[in-house]
Formats: sequence, structure tokens, C-alpha cells
Amino acid sequence: MKKKVLSVLLTTAMAVSMLAGCGGSDAGGADANAEASVASSSEAVGASIEVKEEALTDVKVEGDYSDADLTVFIYAQEHEKTVYQSLIDKFTETTGAKVTFEVTTSDEYGQKILAYKAADDMPDIFYVGPEAVASNVDDGYLLPLDEYVDAEVVNNLWGAVGSAYRYDGVTAGTGEGSLYCLPKDFSTFAFAYNKDLFDAAGLAYPDPENPYTWDEFLEVCKQLTKDTDGDGEVDQWGTANALQWALDAFIYTNGGHFLNEDYTQVVIDGQQEFIDAFQYFADLTCKHGVTPTVEQDTALGGYQRWLDGQIGFYACGTWDVGAFMDKNTFPYEWGLCAWPTGKTGVSMTRNGSVGFAVSADTESPEAAAALITLFSTDLEGQRVLSGETTGVSLQIPNIMDYAKGDYKAKVADGTIPYGENIDVIYNYFEGTDKYEGIFVETTYTYNADWWTAFLSGGYEYVLNGEKTAAEYCAEVQPAMQEALDAANEMKAAAAN
Amino acid sequence: MGRVNGKVKVKLSAMAKREERWALLFVAAPAIGFLLFMAWPIIFAFLTSLTTWNGAKGFEGMINRFCGFDNYIKLLQDEKFWKTVVTTIIYLIGIPIGMILGLVLAMGMNRKIPGVRVLRTMYYVPVISSLVAVSILWAWVYNYDYGLLNVIIKALTGMHGPNWLGDEALIKVSMIIFMVWKGLGTSIILYLAGLQNIPRSYYEAAMVDGANGWQQFKNITIPLLSPVTFYIMITSLIGGFQVFVEVQVMTTNGGIGYSAATIVYYLYEKAFESFQLGYASTIAIFLAIIIFIITLLNFKMQDKWVKTID
Repeated sequence: MKKKVLSVLLTTAMAVSMLAGCGGSDAGGADANAEASVASSSEAVGASIEVKEEALTDVKVEGDYSDADLTVFIYAQEHEKTVYQSLIDKFTETTGAKVTFEVTTSDEYGQKILAYKAADDMPDIFYVGPEAVASNVDDGYLLPLDEYVDAEVVNNLWGAVGSAYRYDGVTAGTGEGSLYCLPKDFSTFAFAYNKDLFDAAGLAYPDPENPYTWDEFLEVCKQLTKDTDGDGEVDQWGTANALQWALDAFIYTNGGHFLNEDYTQVVIDGQQEFIDAFQYFADLTCKHGVTPTVEQDTALGGYQRWLDGQIGFYACGTWDVGAFMDKNTFPYEWGLCAWPTGKTGVSMTRNGSVGFAVSADTESPEAAAALITLFSTDLEGQRVLSGETTGVSLQIPNIMDYAKGDYKAKVADGTIPYGENIDVIYNYFEGTDKYEGIFVETTYTYNADWWTAFLSGGYEYVLNGEKTAAEYCAEVQPAMQEALDAANEMKAAAAN
Repeated sequence: MGRVNGKVKVKLSAMAKREERWALLFVAAPAIGFLLFMAWPIIFAFLTSLTTWNGAKGFEGMINRFCGFDNYIKLLQDEKFWKTVVTTIIYLIGIPIGMILGLVLAMGMNRKIPGVRVLRTMYYVPVISSLVAVSILWAWVYNYDYGLLNVIIKALTGMHGPNWLGDEALIKVSMIIFMVWKGLGTSIILYLAGLQNIPRSYYEAAMVDGANGWQQFKNITIPLLSPVTFYIMITSLIGGFQVFVEVQVMTTNGGIGYSAATIVYYLYEKAFESFQLGYASTIAIFLAIIIFIITLLNFKMQDKWVKTID
């Protein structure tokens, strides 16, 4: 009998411990991965977007493409899919073309497009980012669009994004050579601040005309870092550092860079501008405590803490605006501002984009080019995607005239909900004496393995103060170089 | 009856011939399946491992990027790869732990105790649950601030628990605990079946001879369960070398300093993030060789310790 009781007790205890893994937690929705946080942010608002039929009635398409049979393969969220499907319907109705529209998730896109390549059966239209233009052209996948796309359309795109999709056979993104994609969007990673926290601390709002220096930024962050409930633990911070996304803004403004000019050497070891910037970035966490610690960050990512009103400054992609304007998601007042400036005195951040490309093997290049022109630059489509007809902005319009004119006016008068100081974004797009948005160095290398090597080398030890930035750079550089060499070998093999 | 090359050739009747053709047809289905879905992929992976193919331009693109055994030489010198090999081997520690726990629990549940069916079901729930879903749940269990483990530690000791997924050593411990939890149900069910197969009379005879509980366990249970132990060990070892999903779901970039990354995680990164399909195939072939050697050794050595009732 004793044995029986013991058996029951033991097995029950272990069963309970096993099922503990299925228990819930009241923290809710935390995501330690900054990348996932950023990527998922617009998904949250996406579901609520509705595209009204009348919004697309003015879409104009010309030409007879009744012989064309196109396949479009992209990744998109539901609302984007709805917009593009509406445009496709309009296109097929007007031109007589047949279009098969295949949509996947951004996570699965890479694998699926690889399968298409391995099968040597590419869709007519697919996504290519600026970083993949060179490799895709070298491998013979992309159709040069110069003779198919109206120059006027290209000239009306934001300058930087037009350049990003040009490739001269040597280096992509310099604005030289043929055009290989039309942008699906152009985005930037601006900085945002929580006005309510500034008000509570009695601080003046950041002036977009005069970006903070690093010292000024640190001072403001210190004043925003508080123990608000008096339990002895800090629960509000000046900023939160998602290194994968935010480090660039500190490195480049200090005149630092990862690679040499021809992207063949990793040059971070001993490079003072880089090391100082990385150390400053880490000191915000480990020395000054104005960000959550590395441990706290793994428990609840900066993005969630920002949404929860715990963070003064946080990165804001153009795709985040819709979520930040939704009071259910972010019940605070906020505005855009510049990333703080290092040695160069110019506030810098990363721009981003993905583009619609046409397969070099397509049997209907004119039809395909007409369809991507519609996707990329149709005014009515842009009105939907940028929030004029839906009230939720997911991207800045690709058409510069519209973005700077009608769109901006509607943001100013409140028709389009947007955070204060939209000019910050435009400044990063176009560049001024105080702002510069750039495509990061992974854009110009064959793949991003060297950057992955930087991330997987244990940078967290710098953020928690166990290593200095200089030590880490010296330690990780060989692995980064090895990855870069491999990438360059692949590039050379593809070019031959 | 005729002779061909000294062998007797049996002349078949029409009916027998027809049956033979049918038989061939039935055999052809799995044979073709094997050739198409097993043999060809292995051959293709090996051929790919001899190239620097990035997936471009189909088969022709692959042939154009032939590089001989360069990938194999590179792999042997690849520190990051060897780090993942060590980590994968460390994770295998979970196999004996899971087997011992599985056996103990199976013996517990091999008795007529109330609620035993409920307990068996509970233990088996993780096995049939989605690996991705339970990985996400366990990432929450290990959460530094809000995780169940650290909440319990804080409640019991008043101190904050460790950063389970943010420390190079602890992340491995965390993964092993998770893997043991996930695989326990399978071991229990198999051991339970094994235990119920041992004839009661063996124990009765041993008791008559004066054997105590430990002696019965050592001399009857363990040896007669050895075929089950062997099966669990082989399948766990093969599965252990293929760990991927939990690392992908529970860690960022393979964990701090790549400390949680396994061989298959590295393979995935090379194939689907760097598009180095040639190099990734080299890793796959290497992995297949390791698994083959270990399985072969296990089969060779089984005579020394695997006993059957017969």
C-alpha cells in the first residue's frame, strides 16, 4: 500500500511539473526578439484596415495585354493583399491580362523564392530588396526596366530609393546602371519620443531642427529614467536599445563604418569612431542605466515597453505609425525626432525598401512592367496604403509630388493621423545638413553573413559591461571577415 | 526445367508468372518511392555538397559551380560549425536523463493505482503537442522577469532567478530540460509496453529464490527491457542530432554568443539565410555520416547488452 501511495505521489508530482509548461503567464505578449517586435507591429493594425471599393474606382491602366499570363509572388499582410488584389482586378479587367496572385508571409518568402530559383521557374513579378539586386542580376533573374518604365514615373520616386535599385554590374545602389525594381515602399527608421513622459518630467520636447548631441541625449535620458511606483526598482527608462536596429544610428553619426570603401574588408577592430559609438551605445545600458538591462530586455523587449509607456525615446519605422496612432495600442501622445548626433553632427539612420522586380524570363515584359508601375506608383493605390482612405498609415507614398503636397497637407490638418514632425522622415529620405538616411552596408555586400557574425559573436557582453567595445570588435572581426570573404567569393563565382 | 550458368531455372506456370508480375508491381511502389524520395535526395545532396551552388539557375547552375571537396575541407576548419557540434553533443545529455526518468515513471504507472490513465495521458500530451507551440510556451517559462521558473524561485528564496535563456551555460541546461520534458511521454509509453511484456512468473520465481526488489529490478527488469532501451536510445540519438525547431523558436540568433545553436540550426542558416546550398549540403552529408556511424556502432555493440526473452 505504501508503495502505491508513493507511486501516485511521485508520478502526480512529476505530471504536474510537466504540465506546468502549459501554464499561462500574465505578462502577455512579450517578445524578446526586437526584430520580431518590429516586424509584427504593423500586422497588429493590419487586420483592422478596410479597403472601400470606391477608393479604387479612379485607378487608370492603359494597354491591351490580353496575351499576357502573369504570376505575381510577394509577401504581404492581409490589408496589403486586399489593396494589391484590387489593383490586379482593375488591371485584368482593363487590359485583359490573366494574373495569378500568390502571397506568402515575409518569414517564408526567402525559402519559397529559393525553391522557384532551384526549379528554374521564376514568377513574372516578385520582391527583391536593395541588398539582393546585385546577386539577382548576376544570376540572371532580373529584367532591366529602363525601356519599359516611363522616366517620368522614375523621376517622381524619392531619389534614394530610385538609386537603390540601380546596378551597374559592379556595385548596386550607387545610382549608376540600369533600374531593376520599382519600390513597393520606402521607409526609414526614425526616432520617436513619448510626449506624456516629457510632460511628467517637465522637460522641453526635442527640437527636430536641432538634434541632440550624445551628451544632451544622455542628460535627457537620465531625467526620464525613474522609479515611478517607489518600489526601489527603475520602471521607466530614457530609451531602449534594440541593437540590431538601433546601433547603426550611433555608428554612422560618429563617422564609423563596418567595412572599407570597396566592401572587401571588415574594419571595426581599432577603428576609434566605431568603437566610441559602440561603447557609448553600450554605456547607456551598463554604465548609465538609462535603458533596461540585457536581462530585462530579454524578458520584455523594448518595443513592448515603449507601447506600455515605460520608454522615453524609441525607434519608429514608417510602418509603425499606424500602430502608434491607434489609442488602443499606444495610448500616449508622441512625436518624431532625430536620432542624437555623434562626431559628424549629422543625425543618421537606416532607410529601407523592398521592390517589385520583373523576371528576366517573363514572356510578357510590357504587361509585367505595367502592373508593377500600377503597384508602385498608382496614386489611388498609394492613397490607400499611406492611410488617406483608411486612416491607418503603413507607408509614406512612393510618389514624391503627392507625399510632399497633398499627403503632407492632410497630415498637417489631421485628415491623415500621424505623429508630430513628419518632416523628420522626409529629412531622412532626402538628406539635409542635419539629417541623413542611408542604406546600411549589408545593402552593398553579396549577403549579410558578416553582420550575422557580428550579432552572434556575443555582443550582449558589451551591453552588460563584461567586455569593452574595443575587445569585442577585436574578437569578432576575424569571423566577420571570414563571412565577408565567403560572400565575395560567391559574388565572384556568380559573375563568372 | 533448364540450366542457366549452372543454376536451375524453374519454369513458371502462366498463373505463377501473372502473380509474379503483380508481386513486382506491389514491390515497385515502395521501391520507386524509396528511389525517388530517399535515394535521389541523398545523391542530390551529395552532388550539391561538391558545389558552391546558391540555388540559382536550376541544375545547370549547380553543375557550373563544381568545387570538388573544397566545402568539406572548409567545414573541417569552420570553428562556428564545430561549436554547433559540441553544443549538439551536450544536448544529448538529455537522452539518458530522459530514459532514466521515463523508466522510473513507467514503473510507477505500471501499477494498479487510481487515476493511472489520466497520468499516462498527461505525460503523453507534450509528445503530441506542436513543437513550435510548446517551444513558445517554454520560452515564457524561462522568461527572466515574468517566467514561471523565476516567479517560483523568487517566491521561495526572495531572490531573482537567473537569466535562463541569456547565459551561455544556462541556455544549454534550459534546452536540455525542455527536450527531456518533451520526449518523456514517448519513453514512458515504450517502457510501459516493455514492462507489461515481462512475464510475471519470472519475478515470482525470483522471489521464491529470495531475490529482493533491487535484485529483481537489476537482473530481470533491466535486461528484459534492454531491447526497448536500445530502441529509445537509437531513435533519441538520431533525433538529438537533428534538433532545430526549439533553438529557432526559443533563441535569438542561436543564443548569446551562438551558444544554443545546433548543427541543423547552422545548416538552416547557411541554406536559407546565406543561400549557400552547397555548403549546407556538406553539413547535411557530414551529419548523415555521424548519425550513420553512431547507429552502426550501436547495432554492433548491442549483442553485448541487449537481451531478449528468447
